[in-house]
Amino acid sequence: MSEATETMTPELDAERRSNFDANQKFTWHHKTQVAGVEWKNPVGTASGTFNFDAVKWFYDVSQLGAVSTKGVSPVPWEGNPVPRTAETPAGSVNSVGLQNPGVDYYLEHDLPALKAAGATVITNVAGHSDDDYAEVVSKLADHESDMLEINVSCPNVSADGLSTGTDPVALKRLVKRLRPLTDKPMIVKLTPNVTDIRPIAEACIEGGADALSMINTFVGMRFDIRTGKPILANITGGVSGPCVHPMALAFVYKTRQAFPEIPIIGIGGIMTGEDALEFLYAGANAVEVGSAALGDPVAPLRIATELDALLDKRPELAQALEEGRTW
Amino acid sequence: MSEFKPTYFPSRRPAQVVACEELTDGVVRLTLRDAFIAAHARPAQFVNLYTSNAQRLSPRPFGVCEVNGDEFTLIFAVIGKGTGEFRGLKPGQTVDVLGPLGRGYDLREPADYVLVGGGLGVPPLVRAAQELHGRDDCHATVLFGYRNVHFADRYAAKYSDDVRSIDESEGNVITILDRWAEERGIAGGADGHLLPCAEGERPVRILTCGPLGMMKAVSAWGRDHGVAVYASLEARMGCGFGTCVVCTVHTTRGILKTCVDGPVFNTAELEGWEAAR
Ligand SMILES: Cc1cc2nc3c(=O)[nH]c(=O)nc-3n(C[C@H](O)[C@H](O)[C@H](O)COP(=O)(O)OP(=O)(O)OC[C@H]3O[C@@H](n4cnc5c(N)ncnc54)[C@H](O)[C@@H]3O)c2cc1C
Ligand SMILES: Cc1cc2nc3c(=O)[nH]c(=O)nc-3n(C[C@H](O)[C@H](O)[C@H](O)COP(=O)(O)O)c2cc1C
Ligand code: FES
Repeated sequence: MSEATETMTPELDAERRSNFDANQKFTWHHKTQVAGVEWKNPVGTASGTFNFDAVKWFYDVSQLGAVSTKGVSPVPWEGNPVPRTAETPAGSVNSVGLQNPGVDYYLEHDLPALKAAGATVITNVAGHSDDDYAEVVSKLADHESDMLEINVSCPNVSADGLSTGTDPVALKRLVKRLRPLTDKPMIVKLTPNVTDIRPIAEACIEGGADALSMINTFVGMRFDIRTGKPILANITGGVSGPCVHPMALAFVYKTRQAFPEIPIIGIGGIMTGEDALEFLYAGANAVEVGSAALGDPVAPLRIATELDALLDKRPELAQALEEGRTW
Repeated sequence: MSEFKPTYFPSRRPAQVVACEELTDGVVRLTLRDAFIAAHARPAQFVNLYTSNAQRLSPRPFGVCEVNGDEFTLIFAVIGKGTGEFRGLKPGQTVDVLGPLGRGYDLREPADYVLVGGGLGVPPLVRAAQELHGRDDCHATVLFGYRNVHFADRYAAKYSDDVRSIDESEGNVITILDRWAEERGIAGGADGHLLPCAEGERPVRILTCGPLGMMKAVSAWGRDHGVAVYASLEARMGCGFGTCVVCTVHTTRGILKTCVDGPVFNTAELEGWEAAR
């Protein structure tokens, strides 16, 4: 199809950009720090729910605390068959299967574009084996991402097909192996599909992780009652959205109680500045907004402005974040 | 704190309901006010509607049917929870919208466009007829198939002097497509292919939207007659603007996203369609 049938014709684009620039008057009063990296506000995007090419028409991504990119693997991954999404009350179940064009493409296209746009970039890393992760982390080491976020929720052959994120021994081995491969702050993103998060967090810390982010999605599924079959072609998927917010808070809180020092990024079901604020009270240094950005592309920026106002009234919390501490 | 201002491409926003009427049982025509969508929605571009129930987060995509001043219309079937809610909208209420989204039909080429729609696939074709209306380098023939009530003919007839339709008791869109081709004297050469158009004659292009089985049949018909077919596909969507990658379709150009690379595709580039002929 032709360019002319796209929503974004060059004329429209020019017109919108001129309006856009007039609106660039955000002033952030409350920054935070995650593993020594300064975020201009405590709100970032969550991996897989942010795509620069899709949202650059809607807002200036440099205004966010940080953006976490779609997981990148050593080679392109095709992902799962469709349907890949099913609605569920206050959430959705998705089975994208980490479809992505691979790290080489990412380094050539996505990362330079994000840096040119002024974003603070967290590159999310996916792998099916320890070697996969090591390969991607090595390739990313001398490029300009600000932080790396290791997604240990994917099924991993090095951990008997289970996700490394559920096995403290395998996890510590992986993090230890990745640690010397890069100087960049390394966040490990944890899966909630475990009975106790503390030994998992401990394994990451002992392995040398600079920060933790939590949570990834819960395993779930929906059935079509007309056919009696699962809605997702992959049968199960990951549950996200406001329905996971209370559980995500508990994961952050328990981790913070057990490990007072480790920087934590809270993720799960954030729809408003107030939802984000709860994570800060649970002990997070920052948050990432996921599903909300699928229902409204500008949601992360809206949430950041709401949180900024809420922090105005909470000087003690704001002060702590600015100094790299937490509540 | 800084005030939250809208951005240069309008994001999700409330649109005012101008009218909401039931055309036939379970088929609703909804008129909404949104100057941006009305000004920019091209044929087969769609808009996301969102329910007012905060429990239901997924977008409901609908092809834009007509635009008029700062208003646009949709025609939809009542299927489940979202459309069940939208059917009850009253003038003066609002509903959240995002769009226009996607890549629509390319109508730049001077051609005889044959718009083949089935069921609730007709809205983008009415919009195509609207856009072709008044172009003296094009002609639009509208061929619609319905289950029973011919609910959209009158909207297409505003923009085309050649609207034909059929319902299940009489046949299907292929029946009227054959009739149309025969009338035009282009039933095909000995090899079943459309004879090359005469010098100066405009090429024929088929635009289709409707149930998958119908679009595949139209695509096969196009192939047999040497006519390019552009189909507007449906997919379950998580965002509608290219972020979530749940709406993928396998094509000869690779795995693409229905929402931003489509919903319109040349059927020749859709993989796996051949097998289903
Ligand atoms: C590009 C595009 C244009 C469309 N244009 C029209 C139109 O003009 N008129 C019309 O009647 N319908 C159209 N549809 C189909 C319409 O989106 C669905 O019928 C509608 O989303 C059903 O919502 P529901 O809440 O009533 O159903 P539910 O079954 O309650 O929906 C549950 C979830 O599944 C999704 N879903 C269900 N059926 C479909 C479907 N067929 N396609 C995509 N998602 C679906 C819903 O969006 C929702 O997220 C279009 C679909 C697409 C992709
Ligand atoms: C469509 C979709 C794709 C996702 N892809 C990834 C991914 O590639 N890597 C990752 O670490 N997390 C991924 N996630 C998980 C989110 O980053 C986030 O952890 C989760 O959705 C919980 O946050 P939320 O409730 O705000 O959505 C994905 C989530 C969704 C909904
Ligand atoms: S629906 Fe999200 S990428 Fe197409």
